[in-house]
Amino acid sequence: MNKLTLSGLALSSLLLFSNIASALELVETTTLQDAVAAGELPAVQDRVPSEPYISDLAAKGQAVGKHGGELRTLISKAKSVRYMVVWGYARLLGYDEQYNLVPDILKAVDNEDNKVFTLHLRPGHKWSNGDPFTADDFIYYWNDVANNELTSPSGPPAFMVINGEPATVEKIDAVTVRYSWSSSNPNFLPSFAKARPPFIYRPSTYLKQFHADYVDEASLTAQIEEAGVRSWAALHNRKDNLYKNNNPDLPTLQPWMNTTAAPANRFIMKRNPYFHRVDSTGQQLPYIDQVTMNVSSGGLISAKANAGETDLQSRGLSFSDITVLKEGESRHGYKTHLWPVAKASEIALYPNLNNTDPMWRKLLRDKRFRWALSHGIDRKIINRSIFFGLAKESANTLLPSSPLFNQTHADSGAALDLEKANALLDEIGLTDRDSNGFRKLPNGETLEIIVETAGESSQQVDVLQLVSETWKEIGVKLFIKPSDRTVLRNRSYAGETVMTVWSGWDNGIASADMSPGELAPTRQDNLGWPMWGQFYETKGQNGEAPDIASAQRLMELNKAWQEASDKSAKEAAWNEMLAIHADELFIIGIVSGSRQPVVVAGNLKNVPEVAPYSWDPGGQWGVCHPDEFFFSN
Amino acid sequence: MARYLFFRLLTMFGTLLVISFLMFVVIKLPPGDFLSNQIAELRSQGESASIEKAEFLRQQYGLDRPFFAQYFSWLGVWPGPNGFSGLLQGDWGWSFEYERPVDQVVGDTLSLTILVNLATILFIYIVALPIGIYSATRQYSIGDYGITLVGYIGLATPNFLLGLIMLFYANRWFGVSIGGLMDPVFEDQPWSLAKIWSVLAHLVVPTIVIGTSGTAAMIRRLRANLLDELQKQYYTTAKSKGLRPTKALVKYPLRMALNPFVADIGNLLPSMVSGSVLVSLVLSLPTVGPILLDALSSQDQYLAGFILMFTAVLTVIGMMVSDVLLAILDPRIRFSAR
Repeated sequence: MNKLTLSGLALSSLLLFSNIASALELVETTTLQDAVAAGELPAVQDRVPSEPYISDLAAKGQAVGKHGGELRTLISKAKSVRYMVVWGYARLLGYDEQYNLVPDILKAVDNEDNKVFTLHLRPGHKWSNGDPFTADDFIYYWNDVANNELTSPSGPPAFMVINGEPATVEKIDAVTVRYSWSSSNPNFLPSFAKARPPFIYRPSTYLKQFHADYVDEASLTAQIEEAGVRSWAALHNRKDNLYKNNNPDLPTLQPWMNTTAAPANRFIMKRNPYFHRVDSTGQQLPYIDQVTMNVSSGGLISAKANAGETDLQSRGLSFSDITVLKEGESRHGYKTHLWPVAKASEIALYPNLNNTDPMWRKLLRDKRFRWALSHGIDRKIINRSIFFGLAKESANTLLPSSPLFNQTHADSGAALDLEKANALLDEIGLTDRDSNGFRKLPNGETLEIIVETAGESSQQVDVLQLVSETWKEIGVKLFIKPSDRTVLRNRSYAGETVMTVWSGWDNGIASADMSPGELAPTRQDNLGWPMWGQFYETKGQNGEAPDIASAQRLMELNKAWQEASDKSAKEAAWNEMLAIHADELFIIGIVSGSRQPVVVAGNLKNVPEVAPYSWDPGGQWGVCHPDEFFFSN
Repeated sequence: MARYLFFRLLTMFGTLLVISFLMFVVIKLPPGDFLSNQIAELRSQGESASIEKAEFLRQQYGLDRPFFAQYFSWLGVWPGPNGFSGLLQGDWGWSFEYERPVDQVVGDTLSLTILVNLATILFIYIVALPIGIYSATRQYSIGDYGITLVGYIGLATPNFLLGLIMLFYANRWFGVSIGGLMDPVFEDQPWSLAKIWSVLAHLVVPTIVIGTSGTAAMIRRLRANLLDELQKQYYTTAKSKGLRPTKALVKYPLRMALNPFVADIGNLLPSMVSGSVLVSLVLSLPTVGPILLDALSSQDQYLAGFILMFTAVLTVIGMMVSDVLLAILDPRIRFSAR
């Protein structure tokens, strides 16, 4: 059996944990004592799995907390209750603070060549309503949800179907499940750690009462009618929303469970009394009794934070709110932390290599052209005037906190060098000028690049205005065209845009174990090569095959990464892909490492002062384990 | 009169039919539909796992059917995926965004919406009537100029800006929580004196903000109408006969000047539901306005369609009521209608 580092690590940490666990005396949660005494809840020993996840706070440099308190946060829409699942971050496997994949809900995982995965559950683990969480919940999902043609008309999710072959799922015993494929599926385990994880387990005891294979369909008629849906499958799917978190009756494994049904303006998340994590003194997590999510319009969130109406807030706040937030700090006793945004680039230009006009296509595909444009941007001025100098002037590449960071990639084409830019443009042959001093295109028109924006951020427009100033000096005219997200995408997909502005790669802090798919033409929504991405996504039915060598090489490397069995091979694939991007500048990054303001109440402890802010990986504050946050008084 | 009413009802029905069609066309104009937008969104976030679910809904609610099939089955004159079930049968449709039937989504917010807008209308009448009379009877006095100035400022200030400033200071000086219609702690509690007080305290800012421009407009209109009447001979006669000034004013010219108020009912009814969208959005009021805006931008077609249709029905009814009332109140209109 060839075990990967992951399972080895998991097992060794498991041994360590079980030693502590046997010595660990569990303490009853103070705020649940009454319920336990009244017999409404079993004692803590019977609620926590026999081998719980133990949060070693001291090792993280954090304090052991105490139970109690209410954490208030603001959301802009009722459907944002789903963020509780993102932030709760109870995952089968999750990232730790160093972004290693470690078991969380699972006790351990055995991985054989990325083909056979054996998941070991924690014995005695229970759903938030007390139902046992066992291998049956995995089997129920696979057989009765994913493979039922009424509940899932298009079959199991794509990451569980490799080359047309669905997983083979077996229940070994009550706490062991095995997933296997004949070819390797390296994305299987990392998928579990996503901000929005694929829930390959469902609370089967609860959901079976809505499944026509388990109950008489006729007995569901009344409920189907009451819910206003049209079939039992629709009823089942409505109840079955582990991610949307909008069904208060649905049991969960997250630290807090929603107790309020929509529509409402205030959602109460109560502690999950069966949560599987405990601290090293034997107190069950989460520390905080209740999370209250108040719905407020997006525009008021900064004003409400300024008035001290939230205890922990990042959504709805943006860089431009920092002054407002700082102003209210002393009056309401909160702190504004500035977390570095973990995108590869905050603002980046995407030349559309799939533009349908042959002249533009030729120009945009000319590496010298992209380098000239990149050298024609004064990143220092942009950083100083728009980001208070807090961002980093960098090409679109991984951030310094990533183990794969390379300074030469970050500096690639990032310096302001008008002379070189002009020389490159001359070399391409764009030497004719019009009466205003702008260069002319081969067809005699002025070289005017229309940069389209999604029209959602005024920051992008401000940056583009500064870019247009220096581009003028290399004879390139820039026209900013605000549009709408959907329209922008559709125009790009059709090859009608010349250039768009967006943020860089989502994951700027990737390690070699995370998929480099974003770097290769695998997705249509990459505005630089939508047709190549579509070609891959539709398995060649639509779009165009990549027809330049470097893009083809990226595809090969992405495949090599998927098939790599050890870390050094994965690293090699990553490094070459990063080098190709640094050399080609497919995406022209402007600045990276902008800051996300995070408002934290003065008495809320264990919230890191600085942490990478990213949706994936990490689920915003999820990776900091909010169940370990507590109020000091 | 009966004949008149009958034809009015007939044209009302025709108007609504045309409105419903135009509305549906406009809602469907942007490319894609709610689910295809959602699928694109999910895909861009790399969340392909949930796309299957969206596809499921798409079939379930017939979004894959052609435009006219969708329109007619929404109206209820064409069998949908679930037989004849549309507006005519009292099925308002399904909201994709909220994942519940439309009447449930709208029903909950309707009462608060009417509360806010009713408070505003009362505010407008209570403030505008006396001020309008005052500035008409004392034309070109310092008071008149002062009120005119304030009125113009009220008309010209963008009310969302005014709203934000007032919210900020209401919080700082009086400790009223920012936005919403009550303090968040009362949201899920039963009604109590403290809760009512909280609602009243939170009503002040929206009422003033939504009401300022309406008040200013009403003052100007009343003043102009009243000035017209005050120059007429019957008023001079009444005064010269020794009628007390108040009585002379209230009994004749004021009644004439009230016509625009009655004519306004046609606009008031729909604005009880759909008025104040922008302000509600900025001030985070739990009213129909923000729901409508969200529904339109996310192409939640049945929800948007229902709210617009409901407003259209109210407008048409309001117009009819004000026409009939005017005809009853003012003989001149009754005669000229022939």
